[in-house]
Amino acid sequence: MLTTKGKAPIVSRQMLVFFAILLSYPLWADAAGLYEYLGIEIVIFIIYALGFNLLLGYTGLPSFGHGAYFGVGAYGYGLAQLYLDAGFIPGLLLAMLAGTMASGVVALFLSHRRGIYFALMTIAFGQVFWFLAIKLRGLTGGEDGLLNIFRPDIDFGLFQISLKSNFAFYYAVALIAVLVTLLLWRLVHSPFGMAIQAVRMNETRARFVGYQVWWIKWTVFTLSGAIAGLAGGLLNVAQESAFPDTMSLHASGLIVMMVLIGGGFVSFWGPVVGVIVYYLARDLLGSITEAWLLWYGLLFMAVMMFSPEGFAGGWGKLVAWVRRRKQSEVLMGGAQND
Amino acid sequence: MSAIQPVLNESLGMEFVTNLLPHLINGLALGLLFALIALGFTLIVSVMEVINLAHGSLFALGAYLAMVIIDPSLQNAGPIGLWYLGLPHLLRYAIALIVAPALVAVVGFGLELCLRRTYGKKKEYGLLLTFGAALVLEEAIRLTWGPVEQFLSVPNEISGAFIANGLIYSTYRIYAAAFGIFAIVLVWLFLAKTPYGAIIKAGAHDSEMVRALGINLPRLQLLVFGLGAALAAIAGIILTPIWGLRPHVGVDAVIPAFLIIVLGGIGSFWGAVLGGLLVGMGVAITGAYASAWSLLSMYLLLILVLTFRARGLFGKKTALEA
Repeated sequence: MLTTKGKAPIVSRQMLVFFAILLSYPLWADAAGLYEYLGIEIVIFIIYALGFNLLLGYTGLPSFGHGAYFGVGAYGYGLAQLYLDAGFIPGLLLAMLAGTMASGVVALFLSHRRGIYFALMTIAFGQVFWFLAIKLRGLTGGEDGLLNIFRPDIDFGLFQISLKSNFAFYYAVALIAVLVTLLLWRLVHSPFGMAIQAVRMNETRARFVGYQVWWIKWTVFTLSGAIAGLAGGLLNVAQESAFPDTMSLHASGLIVMMVLIGGGFVSFWGPVVGVIVYYLARDLLGSITEAWLLWYGLLFMAVMMFSPEGFAGGWGKLVAWVRRRKQSEVLMGGAQND
Repeated sequence: MSAIQPVLNESLGMEFVTNLLPHLINGLALGLLFALIALGFTLIVSVMEVINLAHGSLFALGAYLAMVIIDPSLQNAGPIGLWYLGLPHLLRYAIALIVAPALVAVVGFGLELCLRRTYGKKKEYGLLLTFGAALVLEEAIRLTWGPVEQFLSVPNEISGAFIANGLIYSTYRIYAAAFGIFAIVLVWLFLAKTPYGAIIKAGAHDSEMVRALGINLPRLQLLVFGLGAALAAIAGIILTPIWGLRPHVGVDAVIPAFLIIVLGGIGSFWGAVLGGLLVGMGVAITGAYASAWSLLSMYLLLILVLTFRARGLFGKKTALEA
């Protein structure tokens, strides 16, 4: 079970490992047979997945339409570039704002729902956004998507950094990922973080204790929508375009799969693992067979059947088993000495 | 992309009449077909409390299998193959309508056996398992039959068109709507009038009590899942001649099915039928005035209904909300 106790360090050990891998990736990517652009995609989806898990893992609210806010962010960023010439950071802030507003409005309709009805409403709203993205051709470019949004330079006044190279852009994304990770880690260990877990464990009881459950659900949904919007904006920068595909039910389902296959229900790091597994599976299996989704689907089914807590859950079980075994060895050893 | 769209636009092929009546008839026919898709879906939800996202893939699989059964590509057919190909088209169609759902029911059995491991855990696990299964089935279909659109050939007896009162009616659509009514009544009779139906309903209502009465519940669940899968396949065989047959058609089918059962209230039989009719009408009437937006109407209808009636039109509180 995903539970956080009161005190947590600002930077944990796993976090240091994660940051080390994140920041050193461009140095060893080529040697490992990977490439920088893959890193960009993975890190963007890690941001997205971490924000999504706030909703799914911590609050227990399954959203099958989160691609909508991701996509709204992507379009928001693109429109900000095309019409306002907003630049990188203001563009991303506008993408976040777009994600926040879209998810905030939707959350008004969702926050008093539970379980499967919550999930179904998220699907319906997700489809509405997807449909709008296709049909509002004048604004979004329809099925072709919003194209030709070139990567801008980041202007620091004294100097400028061009994001044209994947190397520079990777570090921009990685820095944002570090910030988001630190913030989310703080958030889930804050009193608010305790409250959202209380909502997951027993919504009725949380309400009786005096928490404003509706308000908590609204806030979490909107927050994860904001982060999805940010990630969507980043994906737009990476691809230099925005496509309605990112908003389809299929794409929304994939993010749920990624989070769960990694173990979002049991660990803060589950989504990170899940995103990496997905992209490595796509690249490695994809290089062997065209039907890699078939094998990934089978892998996912196997995980749901045999270790529904995902990779992180399996790892946790392994650690616990090793620990028990060590303890029993110590006990046995002690017994022999007697 | 929005692959249902040509289908729905096509269903509005009578646009030359500005009168609303043809649209209403069209909506009714479309609604019956939607209800047919939702039927197997609602059966599985009410007994197993599993949202079967693979329903659409089973729908597509049924249609592909039927296509192969109707027109097997036998290069060097033996005497049996030649004899089979010599059978009338209508007979082969009838065989497909029985054999393909039976085969899909077997796939459904397999899926239910996989699902068993998620019973008693979080409801999302079951739902996600079926999402994985949907991916696998869709990819398997794409590998076997290729990504291009194929055609399920329909016997001459039920294709073509006829004219009545100055309107052109597609024979196949009338046949499909009639088949929809027939299937709905049949499933209703099975659920309401047979002892098996009574057990299924009891199992949906209170599974522990049913088990305590000495009924083999796992076997019941297996059979219900198989039946639900077979119904999906039948819906696929009936609908794909209208919608076209491509690997993705499953997704286009499962989403309306989904909306319909939520609209009608999860677990409610007549809710699903009424939901199907409402969605069909909504899509057809919106299509009459703003055809590009016809699909949006079903999502808006759902949001509207759920905003005012939390559990749909006839829904009751179930374990799915816990």
